[in-house]
Amino acid sequence: MLQLNPKEIIARRCARELACGQVVNLGLGIPTLTANYLSEGAGVIFHSENGVFGFGGRPSEFNADSDLTNAGCEPITLKPGAAIMDLATSLGAMRKGYIDVTILGALEVDAAGNLANWATRRDGRWWPGIGGAMDLCHGTPTVIAALLHTDKHGRSKIRQRCELPLTGSGCVKVIVTERALFDVRPHGLVLRELFPGLSVADVKAVTEAEFRVSPGLSEMKLGIDLGIAPVVPL
Amino acid sequence: MAYANKVVGIDAAMRRVASGMRLMIGEFVGAGEPAKCIEWLLASRVGELTVIANTPGMRGGFLKARLFEQGQIAEFIGTHIGTTGESTESYLAGKVRVAEFFPMGTWAEKVRAGAMGLGGVLVPVGVGILDQPGLFPALAAAKPKVSLDGREYFVEAALEADVAIIKGWRADTFGNVEFRNTGRQNQRDLAMAGRYTIVEVNEIVPVGSIEPSRVDCPGVFVDAVVQGYSLAEQNDLYRQHWVKLGRLAPAA
Repeated sequence: MLQLNPKEIIARRCARELACGQVVNLGLGIPTLTANYLSEGAGVIFHSENGVFGFGGRPSEFNADSDLTNAGCEPITLKPGAAIMDLATSLGAMRKGYIDVTILGALEVDAAGNLANWATRRDGRWWPGIGGAMDLCHGTPTVIAALLHTDKHGRSKIRQRCELPLTGSGCVKVIVTERALFDVRPHGLVLRELFPGLSVADVKAVTEAEFRVSPGLSEMKLGIDLGIAPVVPL
Repeated sequence: MAYANKVVGIDAAMRRVASGMRLMIGEFVGAGEPAKCIEWLLASRVGELTVIANTPGMRGGFLKARLFEQGQIAEFIGTHIGTTGESTESYLAGKVRVAEFFPMGTWAEKVRAGAMGLGGVLVPVGVGILDQPGLFPALAAAKPKVSLDGREYFVEAALEADVAIIKGWRADTFGNVEFRNTGRQNQRDLAMAGRYTIVEVNEIVPVGSIEPSRVDCPGVFVDAVVQGYSLAEQNDLYRQHWVKLGRLAPAA
C-alpha cells in the first residue's frame, strides 16, 4: 500500500484543480508543494506577488540569480513567455482579479467560505502579518484553501465560524484537506470527495462545520493508485 | 554640466540618516536590499528609526533583519513582521511598534501616493475585516472610510520619508537607474517618496550609457549614487545564505 504524508495528499489533490492556461498564485507552505505534482506540460502560468508571471522551478546553485526570486525570497527561474512587473502592478493584478486561481494555506476556514491565515495571538499581540494574502482573497475568483483537517491538538480547522481575524470573507470556493474535499456553496459546505478508506462518519467526527454530502460523492482524485479499497461503497 | 555627478561614498550619503528619522528601504523578504547602506546603518548604530519597508527581510541574520536585533528600529510600517526571527522577537517583546498591518497592495499604494504627490488612496481591500473594533488597539482613531457608488473604501494616507534607500542594478553618474529582474519591486516609488534618495547599485556607468527607454528610475528622483557590491559578489552573498537556509541545493 502506497503511503502518502498528509501535506503531499493535499498538494496532489490541489494540483488536479488547476487547468491549462490558468494564472495561478500559490501561497507559502502546502500550496507551494502543488507545483511538484503538475506535469511539465500542465500549462499553468504561475504568478508571484513580488512581480512575475510565468516562473519555473529552482535553479542549480551557480545559476541562482540574486535578482530573481519568488515571494518567499527563494531563487526561481523564468519560463519562455514570462513577464516581470513592479510591485504596485503585481498587487493591482491581484486586487483587480487578473489571477484566476489562488491556493492558500489557512489556520481556519469556515462554512461561509471565510478564511483566516494572517494572525494568531502571541504574547498579547497579533502575529505575523498580512503580506499579499488579503489582496488575493479580495480579488481572485477561485480561492482554494489547502490545509490539514485538524490542528496539532486534534481540533477541527474546518469551523462553523472562524474565530481568528479574517484574511477574506466569503472568498473560499473549495477546501482541500488530507481527508476530504468540500465545495463552499451559498448555503454551506458540500462534501464532494473522501480520502480512500474513510467514511462520511469518519470525516464528520473531525469536522466542526456542518456539511451536506454531494449526491456525486466520490473518492479523492489523486492521480495515483493507492491500493486501498474504500470502506463504504461510494 | 546639466547632469550633475551624484556619485558619493557610502559614508557621505548615509550621514544624512540621523536617529529618529523616517527611513524607506527597498526590498521584498530580503531580496533587493541595499546591502552596503544597511551595513553602514548596522555599524553606525543610529537608532529610534521608523522603517517603512514591505517586510522585515530574510531570516537567518541577513542584513536588514539585524537592525531589529540591534534595537535600532522603534517603529515598523509594512505588511508583515514575521519573516525573520529577529523582527518577531523584537515585536513580541514590545521593542518595535507596529500600529497596524497593511495588505501588501495597500502598503504599495500608500508609498505610490507619497511618490506621486497624492494625499492618499481609496482601497476596498479589508473593509469589514481590518476595521473590526479592537483589532489594532494602537491606532488613535478608527480607520477612516468613504462610500462611493455604494462601495466602501478605506482612506489610506500617503507615506513619505526623510530618506529613501533603494537598490538598483546599475546607474549612471546622474542617478538614472536600471533594475534587474524581480529586483524592480517598488524601488522607483520609494525613490520618489523620499525627500533625500540614495541608490545603491552593482555598477556605475557614464551618463548616456543606459538607453533612455530602459531607465526604470529617472535620475531626477535620485540625490546620491553609491557603489554597492558587484553583481558577482551579490550573487555569492545570496547563494551562500540560500544554501544555509536550504533554499538552494549546494552544487556537488
